[in-house]
Amino acid sequence: MRAHFSRTAFLEGVRDMSPMLLGIVPFGIVCGVGAIAAGASPIAALAMSMIMFSGAAQIVATQLLAADAPFAVIVLSCLVVSLRLLMYSAAMAPYLRRLDYRWRNLLSYVLTDQAFAGAIQRFRASDDLAANASYFLGTGVLLWSVWQVSTVVGIVAGQVIPASWQLEFVVPLCFIAVLVPLLRDRVSLLVFAVSAIAVVALDAMPLRLSMVCAGLLAIAAGVAADKSTGRFGHE
Amino acid sequence: MSRELTIWLLIFAVGAITYTARMSFIALFARREMPPLLAEALKHVPAAMVTAIVVPAVVFLPAGVLRLDFENPKLIAALVAGAVAWWTKSAVATIVAGMVVLWSLRYLMG
Repeated sequence: MRAHFSRTAFLEGVRDMSPMLLGIVPFGIVCGVGAIAAGASPIAALAMSMIMFSGAAQIVATQLLAADAPFAVIVLSCLVVSLRLLMYSAAMAPYLRRLDYRWRNLLSYVLTDQAFAGAIQRFRASDDLAANASYFLGTGVLLWSVWQVSTVVGIVAGQVIPASWQLEFVVPLCFIAVLVPLLRDRVSLLVFAVSAIAVVALDAMPLRLSMVCAGLLAIAAGVAADKSTGRFGHE
Repeated sequence: MSRELTIWLLIFAVGAITYTARMSFIALFARREMPPLLAEALKHVPAAMVTAIVVPAVVFLPAGVLRLDFENPKLIAALVAGAVAWWTKSAVATIVAGMVVLWSLRYLMG
């Protein structure tokens, strides 16, 4: 384990990730607020951030819990939002192949949207595996710690701030900040439109299945559009 | 099943899913390439799922009533937030703009 650790690179990872925290903190707070609103105890709300460690999955789980969706539907919906992690895992895998399994298991745990975005460039640019792994660990450890602290702030805020402030609206706002930059070509606009229309049209579906069904329909529409425009297989 | 027990079971079930997804290609099938159709589908997961999360939270009023007109303050706040996200690319600015618009409209509409 130690053989692959470089303190300098770890601290560089921490330093480079710091500007990203501005987007993480409100999201973590929202996850804490949402968990309390869904009826979780403060300990369970924090365990959610430690064990799930995924803003999107936590939000989906808490919103569906609050809407009294069945257990299996909540798990299925969280599964679909977590599929994007497969993409990051596949992109990272070639760079981590020569690492010890303990390092690979540890780095897998801290693989998030932001840590991936921050670390992949470094892995592409440099061959120093020990330094790259430590850099990635630095970004991951910083994100993990800040995520837990913001969740605790949200847990406290969720119990103190009156419902009339409508703090739960911060959830869609956080996601709008994530969504808008994704809509940069025709196919992503189509995916957006299909998902938006389907989720409203399917709202009457039983068991709160509309979210996951609309998402799957929109993914299928995106794949079909890529195929018909000949973009399939190209980045 | 009590609410608290359900929540704990959910935490472990979803935690197992997110961890398995993260380590999938890194540790479980490190020697495999991802099938092209899967790679293609995964590219669209973020836009598809984030939209499916955002839209109902904006267009439905608490009673589950669909409101696509401009008397729905959440709709106006979301559109303003979307414009701010486009121009500033800042999560904090987007959240602040959306909440300020929502609170102002609530105040104005009474």
